Amino acid sequence: MEPFLYNYAWTIALLPLLGAALVGLGLISFNKATNQLRQINAVVIITLLGVAMAYSFALLWSQTQGHETYTRTFEWAAAGDFHLSMGYIIDPLTAVMLVIVTTVAFLVMVYTDGYMAHDDGYVRFYAYLSIFSASMLGLVISPNLVQVYIFWELVGMCSYLLIGFWYDRKAAADACQKAFVTNRVGDFGLLLGMLGLYWATGSFEFEVIGERLHELVSSGALAGGMAALFAVLVFLGPVAKSAQFPLHVWLPDAMEGPTPISALIHAATMVAAGVFLIARMYPVFEQIPIAMTVIAWTGATTAFLGASIALTQNDIKKGLAYSTVSQLGYMVMAMGSGAYSAGLFHLMTHAYFKAMLFLCSGSVIHGMEAVVGHDPILAQDMRLMGGLRKYMPITSATFLVGNLAICGIPPFAGFWSKDEILGLAFQANPALWVVGWLTAGITAFYMFRMYFMTFEGKFRGNDESIRQQLKAAEMGELQPAFGPGAMDPHELGHDDHHHASEPHESPWTMTFPLVMLAIPSFLIGWLGRPWHNDFEWLVHAPGEVLHEVVEFNWTEFLIMGGSSVGIGLIGITIASLMYWQKKIDPGAIANSIKPLYNLSFNKWYFDDIYDKVFVINSRRLARQMLEIDFRIVDGAVNFTGLVTVVTGQGLKYLESGRVQFYALIIFAAVLGFVVVSSIA
Amino acid sequence: MEHFPWLTTVILFPIIAGLFIPLIPDKDGKTVRWYALIVGLIDFALIIAAFYTSYDLANPDLQLVEQYTWVAQLDLKWSVGVDGLSMPLVILTGFITTLAILAAWPVTLKPKFFYFLMLAMYGGQIAVFAVQDMLFFFLVWELELVPVYLILSIWGGKKRLYAATKFILYTAGGSLFILVAALTMAFYGDTVTFDMSAIAAKHFPHTLQLLLYGGFLIAYGVKLPIFPLHTWLPDAHGEATAPAHMLLAGILLKMGGYALIRMNLGMLPEAHVSFAPILVILGVVNIIYAALTSFAQRNLKRKIAYSSISHMGFVLIGIASFTPLGLSGAVLQMISHGLIGASLFFMVGCTYDRTHTLMLDEMGGVGRKMKKVFAMWTTCSFASLALPGMSGFVAELMIFVGFATSDAYSPTFRVIVVLLAAVGVILTPIYLLSMLREIFYGKENKALVEHEALIDAEPREIFIIASLLIPIIGIGLYPKIATQIYDATTTQLTGYLRGFVPALVQPAPIIEGEPVAILRSPPIESELR
Repeated sequence: MEPFLYNYAWTIALLPLLGAALVGLGLISFNKATNQLRQINAVVIITLLGVAMAYSFALLWSQTQGHETYTRTFEWAAAGDFHLSMGYIIDPLTAVMLVIVTTVAFLVMVYTDGYMAHDDGYVRFYAYLSIFSASMLGLVISPNLVQVYIFWELVGMCSYLLIGFWYDRKAAADACQKAFVTNRVGDFGLLLGMLGLYWATGSFEFEVIGERLHELVSSGALAGGMAALFAVLVFLGPVAKSAQFPLHVWLPDAMEGPTPISALIHAATMVAAGVFLIARMYPVFEQIPIAMTVIAWTGATTAFLGASIALTQNDIKKGLAYSTVSQLGYMVMAMGSGAYSAGLFHLMTHAYFKAMLFLCSGSVIHGMEAVVGHDPILAQDMRLMGGLRKYMPITSATFLVGNLAICGIPPFAGFWSKDEILGLAFQANPALWVVGWLTAGITAFYMFRMYFMTFEGKFRGNDESIRQQLKAAEMGELQPAFGPGAMDPHELGHDDHHHASEPHESPWTMTFPLVMLAIPSFLIGWLGRPWHNDFEWLVHAPGEVLHEVVEFNWTEFLIMGGSSVGIGLIGITIASLMYWQKKIDPGAIANSIKPLYNLSFNKWYFDDIYDKVFVINSRRLARQMLEIDFRIVDGAVNFTGLVTVVTGQGLKYLESGRVQFYALIIFAAVLGFVVVSSIA
Repeated sequence: MEHFPWLTTVILFPIIAGLFIPLIPDKDGKTVRWYALIVGLIDFALIIAAFYTSYDLANPDLQLVEQYTWVAQLDLKWSVGVDGLSMPLVILTGFITTLAILAAWPVTLKPKFFYFLMLAMYGGQIAVFAVQDMLFFFLVWELELVPVYLILSIWGGKKRLYAATKFILYTAGGSLFILVAALTMAFYGDTVTFDMSAIAAKHFPHTLQLLLYGGFLIAYGVKLPIFPLHTWLPDAHGEATAPAHMLLAGILLKMGGYALIRMNLGMLPEAHVSFAPILVILGVVNIIYAALTSFAQRNLKRKIAYSSISHMGFVLIGIASFTPLGLSGAVLQMISHGLIGASLFFMVGCTYDRTHTLMLDEMGGVGRKMKKVFAMWTTCSFASLALPGMSGFVAELMIFVGFATSDAYSPTFRVIVVLLAAVGVILTPIYLLSMLREIFYGKENKALVEHEALIDAEPREIFIIASLLIPIIGIGLYPKIATQIYDATTTQLTGYLRGFVPALVQPAPIIEGEPVAILRSPPIESELR
């Protein structure tokens, strides 16, 4: 049984690709018919992914039984004595990732049926989702760096296509390009790092690179600085993909895509690929202390940055996006401080609870759209929500579960993973712990601010004055950036029909995935309980020898856990006083610390700075180049041509375009030459 | 010469078939285009049959050789043959030219003459890649310019005469260098010969080699094109029609690269060692300079033309890498760009047929009306920006890895070059995705949508793009299908060239900062398998 299981493991990635290919071909060749079939397409794609999911569970089960790592490769490219292989590897890390990706993707696909029910692009959306699943699964089974790079770019492509799914929205068009280009900046580093490591070690395999690099550095054949440079370059890839400071700017904008993909790609799976790559490259990073420090501090900075921006966001998806940035920062910080298992454990718990939170936000938006129409500015703004708990009981309950999980309240999943990270970060560097601990408090505050604004109090959706205000603010805010008249309320084919005065709970296809995701968000943390860590037992850093925890230090655990739960509770309390009980006026606080408030509200001005420094300057440089090309390079040529024509009367035939004459000259010359030489 | 004269047949068949076109009773061009298409298909089938039956992939030398004496006193021969360098390009020529004939379906002006020229081009281009005689090479090189010139000047846009004249002046000016260099090489030494392999066997003094190399470089640099000899290309492309584009980008540019490898590398190896760093630098300039100018261009055709120039920069770097991997990547990049460039330019043609404008400012938001065109454009752009899973990525990766591991250059030089060339990796998506955004995304441009009939792609167009995408994706998924057909030749050529690099000839100098050299003692390749 098991050999069969491993021999055909490649089908996991192939099945969704097959589904996408089928539906894609249908769309190209029989567009109308395929679009009319609608749900049949979805059923095919979901079924194929369901099979892949079952297969992944089987592999995970086999790995937990202690099956050894399985690798299979074939020669992919060759030139001279260079050979490059592709294939797949199944080890515990892969198995866990496969299960995470397939389960989240499966539930998101079920959810999509409800969320996209009325959209023209329903079938196309499923095709994209399926390609994405295939690429992401290909990424996690990659046995070497080149294959990771290949799928890395492919998931980037899917992300581009899905962010720009509603391509007639200007904001989506800008966002998808921004996402792709920002990711390319990271890939630039990854490519260079990969080349450097190959130059140094002659290999693309993770373990081999690690070993050889160690050998080279310790024997002095390679300067330690070079090795560190390569490692940091490789790390640039995860910086972009996992939205780390300073390349995090694309992720919040990526929320222009439909909500299901915000959950799948931009919260649970693709953005976590960066963390996954760090895990794969761990044998390399581990031995370079500088690289580890860079990674840890990048993560810590990002965690704090994301949380501080999330504090003031009013758009429910943007708030969640910054929260994702912040949580990814935690994972990267964990990796950098040597907490390999803890980082991946947080990846797993976060995948479930964040996917659920995003899907909840989608459900909320879906409900709001019944009241305010298909206008993201109104439907996603929390200032128009409130009191939704009454109308959407399942959504609000699951959102609360996700909230408790992300805030690190025991026994919810996030507590165990975050606590483990903080504990290990403290051992690595107490300063990292301070940042992480503070961020935990901020996280609790902004998440509950979000919860109270959305689900508690009175429903504000019908308040025309707030609506007007939001529209006006949006126009005013956007004008400098996009030019006048750029914003139109993006109708999606079906205009604001029969508005209700109250939002409604979403259909079962949407609430079912929420409930399913609530289960792991609640329970899965138990796998990582520190006195009996099943997760670490399964997934641990390569080469790390696990020793049984003989005596679990309860005092230390209680101090660490207590302090992070404590700050979380403080955050929740303040949030409830401000946004639920209304004992404290948030506006007054915002006014009293205006500069700080503005810094957070304007996202630390990153977008403005990048626009001024990179976008405008690169455009200017390009225009100057074109001028040079036109005036100087081409001008010189035309000038030479002119001089030739003026001086050489005979050549005027060329200028007038008589090519026959020209051809005749050449022929005559060559023929004459042939004749002369044959005589001589 | 026991075998069937395959190469002579595939060269002459379309030309002779073209001569019969005036006899076909046809007024509106509907019969002629079918005739031309069928001739093209037959010739392509012949090419495939020839290589399938008679070509040995493991043999790096010339095969399918035919020699017929033409002028005995001069040793001038009708001499054709293919090796791993020319064979994939011959296939590419057959493939792209046949598709270009199909792409020319809407041509209504002087159809007979047009299809005659297409068929003449067909044979002429194959001849360029197949001939093995210098003088003969020069003749076909010149001959193949004439149809291009005519196609540009008769079926081109408004400024077609300016563009066509510029094209012919540039390339003919370059050709003079070929003629002079070829004659010099033929008459140098004891024997007078035009046979390429005989010339390659001659040994020229270093200074002469440098001069000859420089001459060839100018001639082929115009074709490739290399900065600053590239300015004819945007003009020619700016005025050409879709089929002419496909031939220009798909095949003509490859002639430059091919001849560079065949002559500069194969015949003048010592000069190549001296010139190689210059080629690398020019390659980097091509990549970055053309990417930036492409970004600033507002005219769609010129934008894609500059993107071609940018992509050819990689070919130069690969050629100068002195590693089998790099050279293999350069050949693959030529094949790959032949396919991708042709597909992009075909899409430009499709778009122009509908919008009747090439200015990006006059487009916008047409994605809703032309969903299939949008999808095809997106796919072709992704191919061009070297998305993995498509051929461009493999070629660029091979060149990157080949150059980065090249032991012929100092580590510092390599680091700088790789760093700068990799900037192209960032710039390419910027200009391509901006272009897509400006054409298809956002709000519909009212003026455009109301005045033009923006119908979606027709089956013929989808078929052409699909035909181009199949090999692009095929090579991208499994590059060995392409690399194995020429690997024997490129490996042999690199081995030959490496014999002339001083740093590589001296026994085992452990270059500082070259850790692989130390580690290499047990061969690494087995572990890479």
